[in-house]
Amino acid sequence: MEPLLAIEGLHKSFGLIEVLKGISLQVQRREVMGFIGASGSGKSTLLRCINMLEVPEAGSIRLAGELVGFRDTPRGRRLLPPRELSRQRRRMAMVFQQFNLWPHRTALENVIEGPIVVQGIAPAKAREMGEALLRKVGLEDRVHAYPSRLSGGQQQRVAIARALALQPEIILFDEPTSALDPELVGEVLKVIRDLADEGMTMIIVTHEMGFAHEVCDRIVFLADGRIQDMGPPAHIFGAEAGPRTREFTRRYLDRHQIITGAAHG
Amino acid sequence: MGDAAYQWDFQVIWDYRDVFARAIGLTLSLAALTILFGMVLGLVLSLLRMSPLKVVRWPATAWVELLRAVPPLVLVVWIYYCLPILLGLSMPAFQTAVLALSLYSSAFFAEIFRAGLQSIDRGLVEAASSVGMTRSQALRRVVLPLASQRMLPPLVSQCVLVVKNTALAGYIAVADILYQGQQISVQTFRPLEVLTTVAVIFLVLIVPMTMGANVIESHIRRKYYR
Ligand SMILES: Nc1ncnc2c1ncn2[C@@H]1O[C@H](COP(=O)(O)OP(=O)(O)OP(=O)(O)O)[C@@H](O)[C@H]1O
Ligand SMILES: [Mg+2]
Repeated sequence: MEPLLAIEGLHKSFGLIEVLKGISLQVQRREVMGFIGASGSGKSTLLRCINMLEVPEAGSIRLAGELVGFRDTPRGRRLLPPRELSRQRRRMAMVFQQFNLWPHRTALENVIEGPIVVQGIAPAKAREMGEALLRKVGLEDRVHAYPSRLSGGQQQRVAIARALALQPEIILFDEPTSALDPELVGEVLKVIRDLADEGMTMIIVTHEMGFAHEVCDRIVFLADGRIQDMGPPAHIFGAEAGPRTREFTRRYLDRHQIITGAAHG
Repeated sequence: MGDAAYQWDFQVIWDYRDVFARAIGLTLSLAALTILFGMVLGLVLSLLRMSPLKVVRWPATAWVELLRAVPPLVLVVWIYYCLPILLGLSMPAFQTAVLALSLYSSAFFAEIFRAGLQSIDRGLVEAASSVGMTRSQALRRVVLPLASQRMLPPLVSQCVLVVKNTALAGYIAVADILYQGQQISVQTFRPLEVLTTVAVIFLVLIVPMTMGANVIESHIRRKYYR
């Protein structure tokens, strides 16, 4: 079966620093893929290239077979015009570490702004859809609150509803719980877990190893701009993983044990 | 000073009320035109200063820095006397004052616009792109509304300065409030009453502006930022 997302030989540099040195991977429909790796290993950059928030220098990204961000012409590869880019971006929703809700819009308005402005959906219809999505993420009583009145966990759930409002084929999460107080992480992970159960295709950059282990079908370990290891959680967290992968995951497990150990001791 | 027996006499002011009324009208139209042209020019300058092209950015930056450094009075007088010599172009005093004060304030408006536009978190614009907004949609729906909230207080301060700077037009004989006040005090030997009146007029013009801005600002803060 054709993969939903197919990345081939992706390269991306910032100035002289090459951050992605040839990334190739495929994401199947209904698959949940995790990206893990040390800080600065290029996880965010890879995710942002998929959504064309960063423009890669070489390689290709295909969404259901369609080249993302570019079009091949007889005179070479050309950047797509804004309208085409907009259409492609709506097929891939993005959820940011810092939520990035618009502070001058209520929760509901944040959710329906895109559909109204970009797709021209009638406001009444959009509101109905927006309310349903906020109910889905458990925020039916915070519909008219401005972001500043919401907790971090609530803001991130609004951001997920905003992503769902695009009716995307895939959702890209960039460390969705890293900016949250520990007690608020669970409510956001629950929403993501529910989406996984519904069969939503997702890529999740995360430092929550336990969550990745539980929810992801496959995990990619990035280091030095390359995919060092890729496979189901049992492989990545198991004994057959590569040495760098083992070292990386062990550090997380150690820290986890130290914390739980301290709590019990 | 120190003469407690000074006899205040505001009757002369009342006798000259028509002159004051005309002067107020003139000052207000001078200020309004200066704010209009200053903002339009300032917006253009701020966009040029944020251009990715060095050849565009650099002259705009130099121009803004130059205008900010020159004392506004020098600009008014210089344009009044030098423009005719340099370009053979002579303009009436009022138009000259509008030109000079617009140029001067445009540099400050430009800096306010630039700071306001650049203060918007890039993540909010990326969120707009990610839901499919084009650059101009993101500008209209996200950047401009948020930037204008932030720019309101400095814009009002700048408008207040424009109103005050209209007094400089008197140096090239534009019949604004201060200029007429000086004429009247010469004729009536009542400089203290006249200057007091001028001060009160400026107060009455300016205080509502700043109060209005404060009301709007605190409304915005309560509504969006708890
Ligand atoms: N816009 C940019 N300009 C220059 N360098 C950048 C830019 N964005 C990222 N980088 C650099 O690229 C490298 C990879 O960054 P990236 O944000 O993708 O890492 P990451 O794996 O997401 O890290 P983290 O876990 O800290 O989020 C880093 O060295 C970073 O400094
Ligand atoms: Mg990152």
